[in-house]
Amino acid sequence: MDYFTIFVEYRLRLAKRMLFNKKGSLIGAVLAVTIGILVIHVNFVIFQGLFDAIVRDISNYRNGDILVTDEADYIDKSDLSVVNWFERIPYVEAATPRLSSTAEINMTKNGKLIEETRIPIVGIDPYRDIRASTVHETVAEGSYVFARNSIVLGSNVARDLGGAEVGDSVKVLVVDRNGEDQIRRFTVTGIAQSPGGQGFDYTAVVHIDTLRDMMKRDGETGSFMIKLNDPSKALEVKEFFLRSFPNDDFLAETIEESAEEQLAGFRSGIAMINMIGYFGMMSSAFAIVTIQMMLVNGKTREIGVMRSIGAKRKDILIIFIFQGMIIGAIGAGVGTAAGLGYTFYAKETKMSFNNSLPLEVSYNWEKIIQTALTSFVLAIIASLYPSYRATKLLPVEAMRTV
Amino acid sequence: MSKIYGQGENQVNALDNVTFSIEKGEFVLIVGSSGSGKSTLLNMIGLLDRPTYGKIFIDGTDTTKLDDNKISSFRNNKLGFIFQFSNLLSDLTVLENVLLPRQIARTNNSAEEDAKKLLNAVGLENQMNKRANKISGGQAQRAAIARGLINSPSIVLADEPTGNLDSVTSEKIVQLMKTMAKELNQTFIVVTHDRQHFGDVDRVITIKDGHAFEGDLPSEVGVLV
Ligand SMILES: Nc1ncnc2c1ncn2[C@@H]1O[C@H](COP(=O)(O)OP(=O)(O)OP(=O)(O)O)[C@@H](O)[C@H]1O
Ligand SMILES: [Mg+2]
Repeated sequence: MDYFTIFVEYRLRLAKRMLFNKKGSLIGAVLAVTIGILVIHVNFVIFQGLFDAIVRDISNYRNGDILVTDEADYIDKSDLSVVNWFERIPYVEAATPRLSSTAEINMTKNGKLIEETRIPIVGIDPYRDIRASTVHETVAEGSYVFARNSIVLGSNVARDLGGAEVGDSVKVLVVDRNGEDQIRRFTVTGIAQSPGGQGFDYTAVVHIDTLRDMMKRDGETGSFMIKLNDPSKALEVKEFFLRSFPNDDFLAETIEESAEEQLAGFRSGIAMINMIGYFGMMSSAFAIVTIQMMLVNGKTREIGVMRSIGAKRKDILIIFIFQGMIIGAIGAGVGTAAGLGYTFYAKETKMSFNNSLPLEVSYNWEKIIQTALTSFVLAIIASLYPSYRATKLLPVEAMRTV
Repeated sequence: MSKIYGQGENQVNALDNVTFSIEKGEFVLIVGSSGSGKSTLLNMIGLLDRPTYGKIFIDGTDTTKLDDNKISSFRNNKLGFIFQFSNLLSDLTVLENVLLPRQIARTNNSAEEDAKKLLNAVGLENQMNKRANKISGGQAQRAAIARGLINSPSIVLADEPTGNLDSVTSEKIVQLMKTMAKELNQTFIVVTHDRQHFGDVDRVITIKDGHAFEGDLPSEVGVLV
């Protein structure tokens, strides 16, 4: 025995020894904390991962990091000037114009005419779109829109048209600004399909100038999708844009803002799931209470001996609270390690469910630390009652003959 | 001093108006039949329990007036205990057990030296780093004696210290206690069934039905008022 062992806090040493000499109880208590933490991590990976995956896809396919629209339905400023204005900013990766409408599409296949109404149709700029959006990557067969008469059909649209394939010819009807039907013939150049269906699976994509033509909206644009190389600057860029065009009726939203509107329900769902996680933590706290009560009951006589040789109530209290701290610290460590292991696994394997969209897994360190600290504190709180009970044991317990 | 357990029909007058005083350095045996009140008396003197009536003075302090914290400190530095069973904390080593009263007192000065000296004196120099539940009953009682002495208490109290041992080991423990008492001029109050093992002692107090009598019963009886 050395200098250190004598002077190290004897209550801590006793707490540690009592705990480590009862391996079963220690493992049980640590496991309880671990599972509580693991549940929270798994919930987070799955549900926050799903949420972030949807936000990621909305951003990649539709809204960019910033979406610019107009108070009126259409922007009449030249798309080149808006795009150039944005692309001068170092944070901006690319900007691209888009125009949306609704179409009626029909196709004759094997002598049978199939017509589908109310198909969302999006006009894109082939050169810019592939830089600001990843929709082109969802084209499973064929290629993205490249010519004035090429059309990319969402996989569901293609299916509903009786199995449209690359090379097929379709007729598209759009109502122009004067209320007149405009019909054009397109060649299917690609079929778009995205895991999770957040992409253009239910949409048809054509060249923006063709759609402008059909809608009689030359030079007009529905929205601009802005992709940043540093998404954290979205708010800054947006504010700068709005300040720079005070006289236009532009609207601009960051992806956080636009996703928040679309996914508010999902968010409250996540809050519910988190509640369940915290209930899990509470039940591990109860497990600790039970296990520690057993420890205290098993040490009745020894507590009496400690009291008889002069340990105060406070000393006994501290010994058992130290035990709570040890359980909490080990549990928080093991639980966090297990949670991080699961998170790492989910991220590396690009985890998804039923081949649906791959989860957007992230390490939320603030939440990870908060979870670990919460369960540590909870373990200490859980040890308060057993510790208090231990202080109520009388010194005469030392005299018990059995 | 009196101690009454329970109430009403279940009331037991375990000690009934017991009065006596013990001088520093005396080796006192407390004897009596089972259930006579010996342990109760020792608990009172050891401040493990409080008397129902009366007062207990130790080194001139009226201990019945002390609060729980003060009593704990008092037990820690004025009293040493040796019990019949499991005196030691099984999670600690023998040496750590002996050191414990010092650590509770937070007077670590030369604690390890003192502990080793005492462990030498009780013949446990080769056992001190063993865990307390890995030594024999006789060795545990030796360790308990060492622990009882580490804070140089005013009184060492022992309740049936040999009650759990074979007669050869008992003999050795008794001799050890008597030797330590003499060497250190240490007050011992020992409750025992083994009157004969102790041979000559300074004083014997016999308890009978909650009353205390001076000397061995039945031969020489002097009632303590
Ligand atoms: N906690 C208690 N509650 C109620 N009665 C008690 C309690 N402790 C002791 N008694 C009673 O008080 C009396 C004295 O008990 P005590 O333990 O002092 O006897 P003892 O002389 O030590 O006996 P033994 O030699 O068997 O140890 C007995 O009648 C016992 O039943
Ligand atoms: Mg007894």
